[in-house]
Amino acid sequence: MIELFHIWKQYQKPYWALSDVSLQINDGSFYFITGPSGSGKTTLLKTIFREILPTEGQILINGVNILKVPDHRIYTLRRSMGIVFQDFRLMFHKTVFDNVAVPLQVLGVGRKEIRRRVFATLQKVNLHQKMWELPGRLSYGEQQRVAIARAIVNNPEIILADEPTGNLDPELAFEIVSLFKQINKQGATVIIGSHDRELIRHFGDNILFLQKGKIVGKEAHA
Amino acid sequence: MIEKLKFFLGVTRNNLWQFRTRNLFSVTIICLSFLTVGIFLSLVNNLRATARGLAANMSIVFYLDRDLAPEAVEAIRQEISRPAFVEQVGLVSPEQALERFRTNFPDLADVVAGLKGNPFPPSLELRVNARASASQEVAAFVEGLKKRPGVTDVLFNRDWVEKMQGFSRLAGAVGAFLGGILILTSFFIISNVVKLNVFARKNEIEILRMVGGTNLFIRIPFWLEGITLGLLGSLLSLALLFVVIRLFPVYLGASLGALQELLRFRYPDPGQVLALLGGGAATGFIGSATSVSKFLKV
Ligand SMILES: Nc1ncnc2c1ncn2[C@@H]1O[C@H](COP(=O)(O)OP(=O)(O)OP(=O)(O)O)[C@@H](O)[C@H]1O
Ligand SMILES: [Mg+2]
Repeated sequence: MIELFHIWKQYQKPYWALSDVSLQINDGSFYFITGPSGSGKTTLLKTIFREILPTEGQILINGVNILKVPDHRIYTLRRSMGIVFQDFRLMFHKTVFDNVAVPLQVLGVGRKEIRRRVFATLQKVNLHQKMWELPGRLSYGEQQRVAIARAIVNNPEIILADEPTGNLDPELAFEIVSLFKQINKQGATVIIGSHDRELIRHFGDNILFLQKGKIVGKEAHA
Repeated sequence: MIEKLKFFLGVTRNNLWQFRTRNLFSVTIICLSFLTVGIFLSLVNNLRATARGLAANMSIVFYLDRDLAPEAVEAIRQEISRPAFVEQVGLVSPEQALERFRTNFPDLADVVAGLKGNPFPPSLELRVNARASASQEVAAFVEGLKKRPGVTDVLFNRDWVEKMQGFSRLAGAVGAFLGGILILTSFFIISNVVKLNVFARKNEIEILRMVGGTNLFIRIPFWLEGITLGLLGSLLSLALLFVVIRLFPVYLGASLGALQELLRFRYPDPGQVLALLGGGAATGFIGSATSVSKFLKV
């Protein structure tokens, strides 16, 4: 379970990127965070990932206060999460295969097992034919799918995805979110930041509306 | 374990290859530094061996008062035999000395024959343990005996040994100084090259953190990189050193004349070879480790 208690985040005075966000996300939920550009979606996801620290507030993940985890122990937290950043963050001098393999290499998984799982994951995002390409030679949508494959390859408990369909055509976007949904059904908690109303309407079990860093609405469809 | 090592070595190999130009540059610098150290080392090796050879053949001769009673001579003999560094003491009687002179210098037989009586005093010849022969202890011992009643003169030719040892100490000091500076330079080169590599891979390091890489996982390839650079450099320097030692007498030796004896190189022994390689690896490791811990905020 992810619990946020009165999270405030200020990058620069006097603007608050997040103001007093309190939220509880149960295990196995499928969550959309939406809102206009600059409303704080990315900031909220990065805070949960502990990439940035909130100015104030507390975050518990499975009862652990992640703000109190020392820097050299963050890896334990990161290993239970998969994240797709808005800017992908791929290694451009390494192949698609190598990019997707890192989360497994970090865990010390054997080579054969890595091959098997990377291939299977790339198949899920329909990119297995480009396994040996360098990301620089792929389209944005394809790069995005590499990032998605990397986020899900080690079956994390929590998946955070920031605009994972931003560069995809509607059909592919639909397919990718279906994939997330499928992973969610196998038990993972999925949190997606998006402003694609079409998708949200179609998939959104839980929707969080942000505006200027504040929660302005919640919807839950079971 | 082996699988992991293989994995990290693979990563290291790719990383080294990715920035091959600057890595080659640092290997060259390390190689030249260690070559300098190696050349001085082999020079010192030779000087030391020469000094040791001289010292082993060195003896001290105490000339005694001609009128000394045999008991008094025996007393002096006892006294001289006492220190630990004395290996052997022999009494040379005036007759033996005369006989030796005759055989050593047959041309001067007339001179001896013309003398009335035996001009040679009795003497005690003493061999000193080669290791101690140039030590202060021996010098003090000899000085003390010069004043002893019954001893008229002392022949102690340790000048050459001292010169040799002084030479080898000087060469050692110059080598250590130059080598120290150059190894320090290698160290900075490695740490800077690794720093550049860290910066160049900032994006990748961030991604490794993002997917849950531990600090160790991120650092090990950089350490291995430094160790490889250092080891390659020192290995190359050893190869060059052996070439230099091989070729030096052929191309330069002859023109040096008498100096040839001193400026000869002796191959480093296995311990020294290991020390040079270990030094290379250590320089590389420390160079990269300082850089990594400084520029890899973790
Ligand atoms: N690194 C930063 N430094 C300063 N201000 C920042 C930084 N990152 C975000 N902000 C500000 O925080 C606010 C929220 O930004 P955030 O990126 O979370 O919005 P978002 O909802 O993800 O927008 P978008 O839909 O465009 O991705 C914005 O006003 C932005 O200008
Ligand atoms: Mg955003």
